[in-house]
This record gives sequence, C-alpha cells and structure tokens, in this order.
Amino acid sequence: MNKGVKKTSRLAVEIAGIRFKNPVLTASGTFGYGSEYAPYTDLGRLGGIVVKGLSLEPRAGNPGPRTVETPSGMLNAIGLQNVGVESFIKEKMPFLRRLKTNVIANIFGETVEDYKEVARRLDGVAGLTALEINISCPNVKKGGIAFGVVPTEAHRVVSAVKSSVGLPVITKLSPNVTDIRVMVKAVEEAGTDAVSLINTITGMAVDVEKRRALLATKTGGLSGPAIRPIAVRMVWEAAQVATRPIIGIGGIMTAKDALEFIIAGASAVQIGTANFVDPDSAVKAVDGIEEYLKRHRTSVKDLIGSLKA
Amino acid sequence: MEEKPKKILYNRQASAHYYRMGISWATPTIAPGQFVMVRVTDGLDPLLRRPFGIYNILGPKGKSRGTGIELLYKVVGKGTRILSTRKPGDDIDVIGPLGDGFPYPSGFRKVIMVAGGMGLVPLYLMAKELHGATLLFGARAREETVFIKDFRKFMRNVKVATEDGSYGRKGLVTELLEEEISSGSVIYACGPIGMLKQASAIARRADVKCFVSLERSMACGIGVCLGCAVKSRPHKGSGSGVYRMVCSDGPVFDSADIDWDSFNL
Ligand SMILES: Cc1cc2nc3c(=O)[nH]c(=O)nc-3n(C[C@H](O)[C@H](O)[C@H](O)COP(=O)(O)OP(=O)(O)OC[C@H]3O[C@@H](n4cnc5c(N)ncnc54)[C@H](O)[C@@H]3O)c2cc1C
Ligand SMILES: Cc1cc2nc3c(=O)[nH]c(=O)nc-3n(C[C@H](O)[C@H](O)[C@H](O)COP(=O)(O)O)c2cc1C
Ligand code: FES
Repeated sequence: MNKGVKKTSRLAVEIAGIRFKNPVLTASGTFGYGSEYAPYTDLGRLGGIVVKGLSLEPRAGNPGPRTVETPSGMLNAIGLQNVGVESFIKEKMPFLRRLKTNVIANIFGETVEDYKEVARRLDGVAGLTALEINISCPNVKKGGIAFGVVPTEAHRVVSAVKSSVGLPVITKLSPNVTDIRVMVKAVEEAGTDAVSLINTITGMAVDVEKRRALLATKTGGLSGPAIRPIAVRMVWEAAQVATRPIIGIGGIMTAKDALEFIIAGASAVQIGTANFVDPDSAVKAVDGIEEYLKRHRTSVKDLIGSLKA
Repeated sequence: MEEKPKKILYNRQASAHYYRMGISWATPTIAPGQFVMVRVTDGLDPLLRRPFGIYNILGPKGKSRGTGIELLYKVVGKGTRILSTRKPGDDIDVIGPLGDGFPYPSGFRKVIMVAGGMGLVPLYLMAKELHGATLLFGARAREETVFIKDFRKFMRNVKVATEDGSYGRKGLVTELLEEEISSGSVIYACGPIGMLKQASAIARRADVKCFVSLERSMACGIGVCLGCAVKSRPHKGSGSGVYRMVCSDGPVFDSADIDWDSFNL
C-alpha cells in the first residue's frame, strides 16, 4: 500500500484544518516578512511562513546590542520590533499572498484586549491562513509576567482571540515553565486549534573583561541547536497530553533534526535561527525529509509520534 | 538556491594577525562600502556567519562587475581563526553584496577618508575611484599598518597616526582630522565607534558632511533578525529616535542621523 503514497501526499500534513504541502515552516522573527529571503531560497517550496510578531501599533524595540552568539546558539532581545498590524496588511501582505505557501501571522500584545484587537484586524485578510499567538510576551497588567507562564492568563488570551476570529489559531508556548503539559491543557481548553513550541529559553551572557552583560537588556532568548534537546523533550511531553496537533520548534538545522521532532510527536516543524546560517535550510530540510520518507517507505502522517517504546 | 560555488583563490597571511583572502565569484555589481556574510565553517561553532567588508574587486580594471572579491581580515576570535586556516581551492559560502555603500561625493572641495584599524576595508574601492582624496589612518601599532601600502600606490595624501608612535605620527587619527578638515570637505569614515563618534563631532563643529560605516554584531545580515540596531537621532516632530539596521539601512549612514550618545562605549 505504501507504493500508492504519492510524492506530494507523502509530505503533506493537515493542522487546524489547513493543508500543508510539507511539514516545514519558517519561524517567526527569523524570516522577516518573507520577501527578504526571496533572493536566497524558493519561498514557494516552504510548507509555510510565520511572519515576525505583530502588535497593534508599530514597536521600536530594544536598545543594542540585541544579539550575541553563544555556543551553538544565540541570545536575542529584539524587543518585538515590528511594523504594526496595519502596515503589515497594507505593505507586506500583497507580496505574501502571491506565494504558493501558507502564510501565518504571529501576534502578541501587552493586554488581553491588545491580542484580541490585533487578531480581529487580521481576520478575513486575504491570503492569511492562520494566526499564531505568541504568549511569551509580558503582561503589563500583571506586573510584566509573561502570559505564557501562568495557565489562567494563557487561557484568557487564547479564549479571547479564539472567540473573536474565524481564522484557525495556533498557540505558541513558552518553554520557561515548570510543566509544559499544564500549559498545553490550558490552551487546548481555551480552544486553540494547535500548539507550537518552543519559543526561546531565557538566558544571559557576560563579558568578563568589561563585567557587563553582553545584551543591553541583560537577559534575552536563547535559540539555535543549543536548545534542541530541550525542545524535543518538551514536544514529546506535550504529545503525551495533547489532543490537537503540535508544531515543533527549536534548533532545527537539518532534515534529521526535523524528523526528531516529528517522531517525538510533532505534525510539523518551524525553522528559525538556521535561516540566518543558511537561508536555504528549510528547503533543504524538505528535500531531506522526502528522501527519508522514500527510504523508509512511509509518510509524515505515519511518522508523527511514532517513537518506539 | 544553487548557484556556482564560490572558491577560495588565496588566503595569505600579511602580518601576524592579518590576512588577505581572494574569492572567485562572478560578482554582481558592487558599490564601494558594501559587505558580505561569510560562513566560516559547516559546523555549529561558530554558528553564525561573519560580516566582512568587500575590500577589492578582482578582475579586469575599471569594471564594477568582477571575477572575484578580496577580503582583508584580522584574526580576533574563533571565526576569524578558522577562516585563516581555510585553503585555496575550497568552496566558501558567501552571501552578498549586502547593504548600501558610500554615496558618491559631488560638489565637495576635498574628500577626507578616515580609517581606524580594519576600517580601511570599505574605503579602498572608493579611494581607487577618487585619486585626489586624502586618507587619514589610525592604528594601535605598526603591525596594523600593513595594508596602507595598497593605498599609497595611487594616493598622494596618506597620513598615519599610531597610538604607540611606531609608525607615522604618535597619536590619534582624529587629531589628524582636526588639522585636515576645512569647509567644503566631505568625510568618509570607518573604524571603532569611539573614533567615529569623535570624527562626527569634529565634522559637526566644522559644519562638514560626514558619512560613517558602522559595525554591529550581525546574525542575518539582510534585515530580518532586527539584531544590528543603532539609534538614529530624534528628528524634528518625532519625540525619540528610531532604530535603524546597520545591515540593511546601512552600513553607511550620514553621521548627523546617528544618536552617538546611545552607544555604551
Ligand atoms: C559590516 C561589517 C564589516 C566588517 N568588515 C570587516 C573586515 O573587512 N575585516 C575584518 O577583519 N573585520 C570586519 N568586521 C568585523 C568582523 O566581522 C569581526 O571581527 C568578526 O565577526 C569576528 O569574528 P570571530 O568569530 O573571529 O570573533 P568573535 O569570537 O565573535 O569575537 C572575538 C572578539 O572580537 C570582537 N568582535 C566581534 N565582532 C566584532 C565587530 N563586528 N566589531 C568589532 N569587534 C568585534 C568581540 O567583541 C570579541 O571581543 C566587519 C564587521 C561588520 C559588522
Ligand atoms: C532574532 C529572533 C527573533 C524572534 N522573534 C520572534 C517573534 O517575533 N515572535 C515569536 O513568537 N518568536 C520569535 N522568535 C522565536 C523563534 O520563532 C523560535 O521559536 C526560536 O528561535 C526557537 O527556534 P530556533 O532555535 O530554530 O531559532 C525569535 C527568534 C529569534 C532568534
Ligand atoms: S543582522 Fe539581522 S537585521 Fe541586521
């Protein structure tokens, strides 16, 4: 029967009612608004593009230095600089909607109302496939503690967004929690159609000569291959309780890395920091996954969560 | 996307910590002041690409499209150390040319180039086009002056200051600038932030236009990570300055647009 699996369907997956021609997406904040990478890779070959996090108003971001390289990874404290939801719709969507790939808008806010309003403005925008809610953002009304680390707050944000839009909703989870399973349950109960994880892990690096933090904000988010084992573990834990699809993120550089996540329970993956290293990483990962599927006479669908006992 | 692999033509040590690397590459048009992002290793350490200015275009004279590029680099850490071990004939992964170069000077009486250390690099292509320009070069010690002979081949006005006095005048390059600056000049400067801040202040006092090429650590080099931000000076009407990306809005900026107090020197 495996002979009947066509090339396209071998790679295809369905998440939140959306068909992805392959399970490889690019992660928010690492792929701009797509057009920047057009000279370097074939955007039409991606399973999807998740754009830079959008807020209601444009945001200036943090002072520099905003990034620092660490062993097999990097810390960033960009401060969610972005053009704002209205400019995104006017200036970035015309390019994105022409692409033969799914376009997902990543959104954030400082209050539940902010999240709701950004989501509302994006709902019904032609060419947009889904929303991804970044709940790793500080909640200004709760002393700046991230929505994503308090289950009740995460629940509030997700149900507020879910009740105000028709678009499918993916909730992007923060790894900076004690038990990821609690968060998965909270956002599923709030109605999320899928979860994606992980966002960056809080970290810090110090210049010992100057006795200064290397980031202007002192702490930042760690990404890249350094976080991959943590991310795979969290996806696997999430898969133990999740009833909706999971999108795995964290340190994926190659097809083999992506496959780890899929076998651990992810239906798709996102590639972040690797885009900086090789703008063609995501497309190469698609090719590598396809090669693997042929060699093992299987499909992505059959591979999801197929980790042996 | 596949294109013809770029190859290392030569990777020669010029003095203790300084190297010249030639890379074969059917280059697109390159503007003076543009840079490339080089992947120094296929491994994960270091992970990110490293930015380097395009020093020279190889190939037939007078063409902006060449058959290759030359980089000059100083070994300062892991990435540049690995680069220094790469062999001629090897493929090398280079993205570019990136950023906007220097605007061509027009209507200025005198062109003054100010370079500190490896700040020489982005000025070479410009200097080749403007034989009448003056170059002021600052370095810590003699070892850092190895590349100055390239400029002396076609420039008559080259002045050097070293901090230890081992070559040229003892002192700072900004002291040379104080002496050379005159109204109607234009300044092109590249080097450490402290030097650029000084040069910018001197230019402002003399009411002279000054363009600076900035360096920040870069993750992507193409304007997507938003990591290489510098603050621009507040403009009339807007309360505070906005952040601009060195890689995609620069690396060359009008020094009057930069908020020099925002750097933690
Ligand atoms: C647009 C641009 C053009 C550049 N052009 C050249 C060039 O033509 N030739 C050249 O030799 N170098 C150039 N640099 C600097 C070069 O990119 C760095 O020296 C290099 O990335 C260091 O890598 P590393 O792994 O060897 O050092 P790391 O291990 O990353 O760092 C070692 C030490 O060098 C310092 N360092 C790292 N990056 C920089 C930087 N950007 N500026 C100043 N200090 C830094 C670090 O703070 C640290 O103390 C340029 C930088 C930029 C942003
Ligand atoms: C420079 C940078 C900017 C990011 N910006 C966002 C963002 O705006 N919204 C978001 O949800 N995640 C953002 N992320 C997190 C990534 O989408 C991803 O979850 C994380 O980097 C882990 O994946 P990776 O190791 O493949 O990079 C950013 C990451 C980086 C490195
Ligand atoms: S290095 Fe990424 S935006 Fe400049």
